[in-house]
Amino acid sequence: MIVDWFDTNLVSILNGFAIGSLLFILAVGLSIVFGMMDVLNLAHGALYLAGAYLGYQFAGDTSSWLGFGTALGAAALVGLLAGGVLSTMTEPLARRPHLDQALLTLGVALVVAELLAISYGNDVLRVNAPPGLDESVQVFGRTYPAYRLALIGVGLMIAIAVYAVVERTTIGALVRASVADRDMVSALGVDNRKVKLAVLGAGSALAAVAGVLGGPIYGAAPGLDETVLILALVVVVIGGLGSIKGAFIGALVIGQVESLGRALVPDLASFMLFGALALVLIVRPRGLFGAKAAG
Amino acid sequence: MSHFPSRRMSRRRVLGLLGAGGVVVAGSAACGGGSLGGDDDEPATGGGEGGGTVKVGLVIPQAGVYTPLGVDMLNGWELFLEQNDGMLGGYVVETVIADEGEGPDTGVPAIQGALQNDQVDVLVGIVNSATALGAADAVSEAQKVLVIANAGAAAITGEAASPYIWRSSFVNAQVVVPLAEYLAANDISPVYVMAPDYAAGQEVVDGFTTAFVAAGGTVAGQALTPFGTTQDFQPFLSPIRDSGAVATFVFFAGGEAVSYVQQYAAFGLAETIPLYGSGFLTEGGVLGGQGEAAIGVRTSLHYSTEIDNENNAAFVEAYQAAYDALPTCYAVQTYDAANVLNRALAEAADLSGDAISDALGALGEIEDSPRGPWSFNGQTPEQTFYLREVVEGEGGLINSVVEDLGVFTQP
Amino acid sequence: MSTPADAETVATRTRPVGAAIGLLVVVGLALVPLFVAPYETTIIGRILIFALLAVSLDLLVGITGLPSLGHAAYFGIGAYTAGWLTINVTAEAPIPLLAAAGAGALAAAATGWLAVRSGGIFFLMLTLAIGELIFQLAQSWESVTGGSNGLYGIPAVQLAGSPLVLAGLRYWYVLAVFLIGYAVLRLVSASPFGAVLRGIRDNEPRMRSLGYSPFRYKLVAFVLAGAVAGLAGGLLTAQQRLVTTADLGFTTAALALLAVVIGGAGTLWGPCLGAALVVLIRDALGPRLDGHGPLVLGLVFILTVYLLPRGFAGLAGLRFRRRPAEPA
Repeated sequence: MIVDWFDTNLVSILNGFAIGSLLFILAVGLSIVFGMMDVLNLAHGALYLAGAYLGYQFAGDTSSWLGFGTALGAAALVGLLAGGVLSTMTEPLARRPHLDQALLTLGVALVVAELLAISYGNDVLRVNAPPGLDESVQVFGRTYPAYRLALIGVGLMIAIAVYAVVERTTIGALVRASVADRDMVSALGVDNRKVKLAVLGAGSALAAVAGVLGGPIYGAAPGLDETVLILALVVVVIGGLGSIKGAFIGALVIGQVESLGRALVPDLASFMLFGALALVLIVRPRGLFGAKAAG
Repeated sequence: MSHFPSRRMSRRRVLGLLGAGGVVVAGSAACGGGSLGGDDDEPATGGGEGGGTVKVGLVIPQAGVYTPLGVDMLNGWELFLEQNDGMLGGYVVETVIADEGEGPDTGVPAIQGALQNDQVDVLVGIVNSATALGAADAVSEAQKVLVIANAGAAAITGEAASPYIWRSSFVNAQVVVPLAEYLAANDISPVYVMAPDYAAGQEVVDGFTTAFVAAGGTVAGQALTPFGTTQDFQPFLSPIRDSGAVATFVFFAGGEAVSYVQQYAAFGLAETIPLYGSGFLTEGGVLGGQGEAAIGVRTSLHYSTEIDNENNAAFVEAYQAAYDALPTCYAVQTYDAANVLNRALAEAADLSGDAISDALGALGEIEDSPRGPWSFNGQTPEQTFYLREVVEGEGGLINSVVEDLGVFTQP
Repeated sequence: MSTPADAETVATRTRPVGAAIGLLVVVGLALVPLFVAPYETTIIGRILIFALLAVSLDLLVGITGLPSLGHAAYFGIGAYTAGWLTINVTAEAPIPLLAAAGAGALAAAATGWLAVRSGGIFFLMLTLAIGELIFQLAQSWESVTGGSNGLYGIPAVQLAGSPLVLAGLRYWYVLAVFLIGYAVLRLVSASPFGAVLRGIRDNEPRMRSLGYSPFRYKLVAFVLAGAVAGLAGGLLTAQQRLVTTADLGFTTAALALLAVVIGGAGTLWGPCLGAALVVLIRDALGPRLDGHGPLVLGLVFILTVYLLPRGFAGLAGLRFRRRPAEPA
């Protein structure tokens, strides 16, 4: 019986992992920045969208590894720059209430999303998966797109890489310390602004890369930034602020909610995501692995 | 951070003056004798024969997700005018474009602006059904004729019908009834039915299911996907294979159509369970986004560029020459709106809403339309529907006509 | 920073000037239908409705310190209630409006009870979640809300039996209710209750130590804000005769928050200016820019956050404190 259930829902479960991978890459930067500086970067979704359009720019017409690779590289670069710019922009507001910084990023998100819509139009644009990955393979008797399987692998690799950097390097130690107690780190003589710059830059680069990686599945279209931002926020809140493990688990959970959940209870699908968010915020605002108490 | 009283006071004064001044300037700029008493009288311009201008408000989306449809509609409208020396029914046409935007919150004010500000005589267009329904009262109360060139909600010429509101396009369910009967007649059953969960999707699913079951078919399963928020259809594709369906019928348009058709192929369903749909699944710009995944998909619609009649051949050629693109049903619908207005204005006594409405009602068959002959029935077209299949054409993917499904009216 | 005495003298000195300007504005607004064409009158009416929503949000954001991204939900609930009632029961003047305010208050009470337990960014996200849930509910419950088609064909409001069809009369109706709603919020803000709210905004632990229960006060503020938002929703129904799910969506909520911040949180009249700016950019400027109004809005917003920390109201030199004085 259990085997039957798995057989029927295998594709959904697999899909959940693929979406979860993508969400992790997207959300991990948001989580660290939020946990560290209490800055809610509402422009995160717009960065994803920028990455998706870069994917269209380089891999929209044909399917090629060169195109896809260029898109990834360009996205990482653009993301890094954007993160730096955001960090500089929010610096003068450091002494203002955190809401002001969040609202500033909201303004930036609006501007970026509109500029992208002006440049690329309103159609849904496609991003081609690189050759070799744009076919479907057989998994336990079910057909499944090869690209999504690859995505699961990529997500795992990035998770391991991020974990290694944060847990095993000095920079990572600084980041973890800043999440735990920002003022203490500052008292030790480390310039908080540089740490923030690095984290925002890395997080934004990851968001843009997620946009390229998500291109073959979601394409590039106006409005995608809002959808993706909401998903990232839910992952961050459920997983807990400032925690990589939390972002990972949260992403996997939300990935399953979005795929298996929608397959099993389609009528409640729309309510599940926000219901989960509201529930966690009420019952355990710190999230599952949160490093900070509710601000 | 000290504040000098004088500086503060003058800032306040400036702000107050700015505010009051703004109101005065806005008021005088918009001075139109006020908004009380005496609703705008329509300028009855001349008699029916020759002389005079007709002001037409073209309500199309120029922002948001429906913009591509708006482009097609504008093209269709302008092509007809160009072919008729810029005149309709003997009147010189002055077109005023009102931007419908994405929904009724922008669309209804735009229509009100066209009626009150621009004082148009006739309205043409509207893509979004919610906008059409929301503006219906305002249009009827202003007693101006509206020829809807897209919005397909049944209520527009059903429960919410008004003598002033006509349609040159289709009714949502009308498009799929022919396909339902075709599938049942060819023993293609059971069928899995899917559409997005909003008004139009529900209308289509209800219309299809009723006609399909009545004609002897069985529905293997049904799913309504969250509208506008679903980019990944995998959770809804998985149950299809296990349902025992031999074919899938769907209604999706725009971005969702692109994602759906692509994913339907990527998850291996396209090979074993053929995909059928309401024509919008493969109409217009979405074909480019779908690419190879769309080949073989069969749909029903009241138009295709491949319809074999003289008028269509001439129309497609003229459209391509003028706009370097193939026409879509949206262009034809607006082209035909101009066509019926051309005929009606020639017969109408004057430009009042009642006269134009009567003239439209007296029109017989429109025999020279690119989509084939059609006529009004219940103020909406009774027309032929075609079974189309996506194939690789000379310049790209096209919807070739497989079969003529017959003439259908609004269900 | 300023001493209390300083603020006191500022207030007494600017009060008569403020009152005079306020009176001028009200008179100007009242004269609008006599000189302005119907379409523009409708736009000003729309501004007033959105301004009432923004002012109700200001009670939460500026005065109580609770930034909400889900306030449009109560606006929409009020609008749908008024619409449903007008279609099915009666269109007679105050009834749909009162029902709208009541529905907004009820919904706010039910959700606020959960929401006001948190604060700051968490409150922001929780209200966002609640707003989205209510939005989904409106989309699904088509038998009552009309789903994505919206509630259309709403008959005109009736005053003592005769329907208000003329744009000018409808406008006066909207203006009258707006002034009432604004006056109520103004009174609340100036009352001791309002002072407690400001105290909670500035230093909640201190208020608790003084014996006040922040939860109760915050909940009452939340319910009151929800009621006025519902009232604004009822006005929308009367003005537009159409309610769609966009009216309670995230975009409306975000625009309202933008209006409050641009206008000047905590001042009540600042958000009115902010609302005017937002509506004008979206409706008047937007079409001219091919619908890219949000671009201008985003730029205005960024500039405001940098240059006008107190919003446009800050230009008037009004004093208010949003956080306790921080070390320079």
